[in-house]
Order: sequence, then C-alpha cells, then structure tokens
Amino acid sequence: MSTTLEQPLVAAYGLTKHYPVGRSLRQALRGERPVLRAVDGVDLALRPGESVGLVGESGSGKTTIGRLLLKLTEPSAGQVAFEGEDLGRLSRSATLRFRQRAQLVFQNPFDALNPRFSIGRTLTEPLSNTGVPKVEHADRVAESLRHVHLGDPARVLERMPHQLSGGQLQRVVLARALVLRPRFLVADEPVSMLDVSVRAGILNLLRELRDTLGLTTLAISHDLTLVRYVCERTLVMYLGKVVEDGPTAQIIAKPAHPYTRALIRAVPRPYVDQPRDALPLHGALGDAASLATGCRLRNRCPHAFDRCAAETPPLAEIAPGHRVACHLHTT
Amino acid sequence: MTELLAVRDLAVAYANGTVHAVDGANLTLRRGGMLGLVGESGCGKTTLARALMGVLPGGARITRGEARLDGTDLVALAPAERRARLWRDLAFVPQTAMSALDPVYRLRDQMREVLCDRGGLSRAEADMRAAELFEAVGLHPRRLADYPHQFSGGMRQRAAIALALALRPKLVIADEPVTALDVIVQRQVLDTFRSLSAELGLSAIIVTHDISVVAYLCDQVAVMYAGRVVEHGPTDAVLEQPSHPYTMGLMNAFPDLESDEAVLAPIEGSPPPLSDPPPGCRFAPRCPFAEAICTREVPPPVTLAPDHWSACHRAPEAAALRQRARDPLTWRDVAEAAA
Ligand SMILES: Nc1ncnc2c1ncn2[C@@H]1O[C@H](COP(=O)(O)OP(=O)(O)OP(=O)(O)O)[C@@H](O)[C@H]1O
Ligand SMILES: Nc1ncnc2c1ncn2[C@@H]1O[C@H](COP(=O)(O)OP(=O)(O)O)[C@@H](O)[C@H]1O
Ligand code: SF4
Ligand code: SF4
Ligand SMILES: [Mg+2]
Ligand SMILES: [Mg+2]
Repeated sequence: MSTTLEQPLVAAYGLTKHYPVGRSLRQALRGERPVLRAVDGVDLALRPGESVGLVGESGSGKTTIGRLLLKLTEPSAGQVAFEGEDLGRLSRSATLRFRQRAQLVFQNPFDALNPRFSIGRTLTEPLSNTGVPKVEHADRVAESLRHVHLGDPARVLERMPHQLSGGQLQRVVLARALVLRPRFLVADEPVSMLDVSVRAGILNLLRELRDTLGLTTLAISHDLTLVRYVCERTLVMYLGKVVEDGPTAQIIAKPAHPYTRALIRAVPRPYVDQPRDALPLHGALGDAASLATGCRLRNRCPHAFDRCAAETPPLAEIAPGHRVACHLHTT
Repeated sequence: MTELLAVRDLAVAYANGTVHAVDGANLTLRRGGMLGLVGESGCGKTTLARALMGVLPGGARITRGEARLDGTDLVALAPAERRARLWRDLAFVPQTAMSALDPVYRLRDQMREVLCDRGGLSRAEADMRAAELFEAVGLHPRRLADYPHQFSGGMRQRAAIALALALRPKLVIADEPVTALDVIVQRQVLDTFRSLSAELGLSAIIVTHDISVVAYLCDQVAVMYAGRVVEHGPTDAVLEQPSHPYTMGLMNAFPDLESDEAVLAPIEGSPPPLSDPPPGCRFAPRCPFAEAICTREVPPPVTLAPDHWSACHRAPEAAALRQRARDPLTWRDVAEAAA
C-alpha cells in the first residue's frame, strides 16, 4: 500500500526538448546545428492528488513541459513516466488508455471549442472517440456538468459556444476534460483570458476538483497570485530549467532563487501602499539558444559571481521539500 | 484650472442605436493625473476610450453628452478638426499594440510619418526625437531600425506608447496596455508610464480590468458597469473604502499574493446585455443590497468626499454594506435567489 502511495503519478527524468533554430552562415559552414533549449534536463515528480503550479515568464518553457507530460510532443532526451510506465514505450492500447487518464485544459476557452458543435456534442465526442459504451454517455456528461456547476444540464446541452459567457465556456472546457474521468489534468493558463469576477469562480472550482476528485493537477501560469489559490506546491521555471521547487506558501513568503524573488516582486498588488522600487533583475529576457553552460540567469542576476558562468547550478534541496538551483545556496 | 478632461453624460450607440455600449458616462481627469478605468469585459471601456479619441468603428456614434478637453468640447468638433487633434492633443494606444504599428514599416519610418507629416519636423529632427522617445520608454534607439515583428510583446507595447507620445499630446489613452504581458514585462511597461508621468507630466487614462494595475499606477479610478461609471475617486479611497457594491464585489473577487482569504468570492452572474439593460440600477440583478427603489430609479451620483462619488441609492450606508460585502455568503445568496 505505502509503496503505491509513494510512487509519483507523473515523473520526468532529464526531460529535454530542443527546437532547431535558424543558423548563421558561419555556423552552417562549421557544421553547427544551433538549438533552442525550450526544456533542458528537467526532473520532477507529481504525487497522486497533488496540485502543482508551474510559473515563469513568457517563453520559459511551461507549455512545452505540459505538452511533454501529456505525450503531445516527444522529448529530445529524457523520459516521462505515468503510473510508473515510460510514456515512450507505451503500446497502442496503453496509449489510448493514457489519453483518457491525462487531459489538457487549454489556454483560451474561446479557441478551445468547436464553434459549430453544441455543448452536448462537445462533451459526448471524447466518449465516442475513446469507445465508452453509448448507454453510459448521458450519465457521464451529466456527471461532468455537475462537477463544474453548470446549472441546468438539459438547458446547457443544446447551447452553442457563442451563446455562453467566457466563464461558462471555461467550465465547459473543464467538463470536457473531466468527462473521461482523468487522473491527471494540465491546466495551461486556465484563467488568464477571463475577467476577474469570473476567474474567482474558476479558481474556486479547480480547488474543489482537487479536493473532491483527488485529481493530480499541473496549473501553468505566469502569475503566482493565481497559482497560490490552487496549488500547494510550485515549480518556478527560467529558460527551460526548473530553478525552484517548494511549498507555494514558502516560495511566496521566502523565495530563495534570485529569479523567484524578482518574479514575486513584479506582481502588482491590489492596494495603493505597495513597493515600487526597481526589480532586482537586469535587462530583458535571456536567450535560450546561447547559454549552454553556467547559470542561465547570470546576465540578469544582481548576485552573479565567477562560478555562475563556469558551472550550471544543480537543483539541490535547501530544506525538506524545497529545492533551489543557485550557487548562492550550494557550498 | 487643474481639470484636463471632463466627460458628462456621454452616450455611444452601435448598430443603429440598438446597443448603448456607453450610456451616460461621467468622468474627470486632472492635469498630470493617471486615471484607471476598470470594469468587467463588455462594460463599455473600449467604446468609451475610442469615443473620446474620435476613433469609433463604423456604425457607432456618440448620441449625447460632452467631453471637454481643456474646455473644448470634442463631441461638438467637426470630424476634420477632431482628426487634426489626434496625435497632437490626444493619442491612443489600442488594446492590441500590434494594431497601432504597421507590420510592413520599420519603427523609424512610422515615427517619421507622425513627426514629419503631422508634427512638421524635418527628417533629422524627427530621427533625433524618435531616439529620445525610444529611450524614454526603455528601448534602445538602435531598435528603431527594426520591424514590429522583431519585437517581443512587451517591446511592441512600449513602441506603441512611444509612438503615442511622439507629438507630446495632452492626453494619452491606453486600452489594456499590460493585460497580455507576463508580470515582469508588465512591470516594465507600468514603470514606463510612471516615469513619464513624473518626468514629463503626462496625463493618461489606463483602461484595464486589473485592480492591481490601477493600485500600482493610477491616482484616480473610475469603475464602469454596463455602460456607466458607477464610482469615481482617488485610488486609495476607492480601493480602501469602496462605496458602490459593484466595486466591493470586484475587490472581493480579486486575488492577492498574500491575503489570508482562503476562498475568493465571485460576483455571480454577468453584466446585462446592453441592447436590453435592466431599468433603474443596472447592477441590481447581481447586487446583494438591492431594494425596491433600485429597480425603479436610476441612482444619481452621491458625493462621499471631495472628488469621490458613487452612483448607488444606498451610498450613505456604504460603511455598513462594506462590512457585509466582505462575507462571501452575502454574494452566494444573490446567486441562489437568482437561480
Ligand atoms: N513548435 C516549436 N518550434 C520552435 N520553437 C518552439 C516551439 N514551441 C515552443 N518553442 C519555443 O520554446 C520556448 C518555450 O516555449 P513555451 O511555449 O513552452 O513557453 P511558455 O513558458 O509556455 O510561454 P508563455 O507564458 O508565453 O505561454 C520559446 O522560446 C518558444 O518560442
Ligand atoms: N463594433 C461593435 N458593434 C456592435 N457592438 C459592439 C461593437 N464593439 C463593442 N460592442 C458592444 O459594446 C459593448 C461594450 O464593449 P466594449 O466597449 O468593447 O467593452 P470593454 O472594453 O469594457 O470590454 C459590448 O456589449 C459589446 O458587445
Ligand atoms: S547561480 Fe549565480 S547567476 Fe545564477 S541565480 Fe544564483 S547567483 Fe545568480
Ligand atoms: S443602487 Fe441598489 S442595486 Fe444598485 S448598487 Fe446600489 S444598492 Fe445595489
Ligand atoms: Mg504557454
Ligand atoms: Mg476592451
């Protein structure tokens, strides 16, 4: 019993995704093939029922990690295991089963649904596609609508997407993911396109699903404010690497990595009396193509020293359950 | 006179007058002030901003009211006269920066077009001014040689701001200037506005649905609901002592990085269709404090302090309502009553 509990539901080892980028003539002559290191050697583990946030600035590789964990794209190196099985070696039928158990909730509800399908058809389609017996469809659809609190199911089912508000659409998108009774959900910027008043409802709903269904969730966002409402643990990414991993409350109260500190300081607060001093970070976004060794933040980090250029800092534990990749924390 | 802009009872209709996207909006902006215009989507923020700029889409027109900029009523001006004021007196940063920039021209050429053709500068003067403007918004003047697609989202937003500032307008209106940006780039753009306000005395209206952006940047705030401004005042007063139930609801629904609140209290329901708004107070169907009078009579603005007003029949009881509004159950009850 305890061994199955301790086994992570989803785990990644040395997970890497490189994309080819345009090369200069000189690079071509030298036979070099420059790559963009979108995800670069990430190790992570999500325990069953855990809700984990993935934060980082635009282009840091969050969506790419989400897609790798769902086998929507293949890694350049490293592997992903789901319930202990290597996703790279799944049989055809095992892949089909995995596609039911792991679901994605898209960044933008307005693009995620087929505008010509009624809500009923949108929700039934995944069931037909995965061979769920027809007699079960009505019950399963009603169950998923109940989970997302979408009022009177009979009325919702005939509606078309354009007849629903943004918040209702996002609930439908969630229901579509839940209809297959998944164990693992990746929610990519689930509320960034929604109004504040609607966001609150969706964030509450995600929490509730975590508690009632025991779903394992990876919630992707650039905004820690949103993540803290849903996730007990947070991973911070910078240019393809996880630079900090720990309990969300601890990361917000005592961020250990210089990048996390800047990220937290950058969040505007809903009251007038708030700090407005310059962020402890130089320059613009770094370039994932160029920095192969050393710490990728070093050009922007106010604390950088010699070692930061020479050695890549490993993700090392600084307290139980709290890992940081920064030479300031290694000895 | 320190008042730069005064909007009175402004109304804008789309589709042959069937949709009143703005319906009796009032607001004022001090010279050198930063005003945040907040509200849920569909409340008419973009329509109001475009009406002030004189850049409404076809089929939309101003049906009543006035908008005085330095005493001149913009609404009464002939279209040609209004166009002549665009860029010089007022400038606009549209909701997507990409639509402010022309993808086929280098930024330098777009700057020249505004500075030479509209501002009457020579080419050499224009290039010098363009370099200054880029520096002012934190972009390297070298980047003037680039095309818009070579910029990141945040850089594009700053280039659009630089373009808007080209002829030193009295007023800049920016529609959701940071909504699509990640928090670090967002902070850079907000700081660009802050330093322009401090150093050049820029006056601006910042349209946003993010209360934190207003709290960080703006000294005044106007809260818009269903085509009308429902609360208006200094940012600290409005955020600390919200006096319109809609503002109270927005504040409750808003997540903060460190608040102790375990759950957020959403405002249930959504804004009414502007083709068929409810009578009286338009917030009444979602308001936990609605009374009989609310659905009969349009609430007039009630002055609570100098410069701070709320268009709510129960504004005099605001302190007591605030207490009740803090309880999430207060809002849930309305949802259940409506269901
Ligand atoms: N199919 C692709 N081909 C080439 N490069 C890609 C591809 N997908 C992503 N990238 C690059 O990989 C990096 C990481 O992208 P990713 O979409 O994972 O970022 P993200 O953290 O989700 O950003 P955002 O917050 O903007 O959504 C970026 O530099 C991006 O341009
Ligand atoms: N071009 C248009 N034609 C008809 N209706 C429009 C048009 N643009 C906006 N509207 C309507 O006007 C109302 C206000 O929209 P908008 O000003 O864009 O609000 P906001 O910027 O606050 O989201 C909405 O009901 C919207 O559907
Ligand atoms: S390793 Fe060095 S450069 Fe990187 S974050 Fe730590 S101090 Fe800064
Ligand atoms: S006027 Fe009535 S319905 Fe409108 S906000 Fe005030 S109390 Fe609520
Ligand atoms: Mg993404
Ligand atoms: Mg808008």
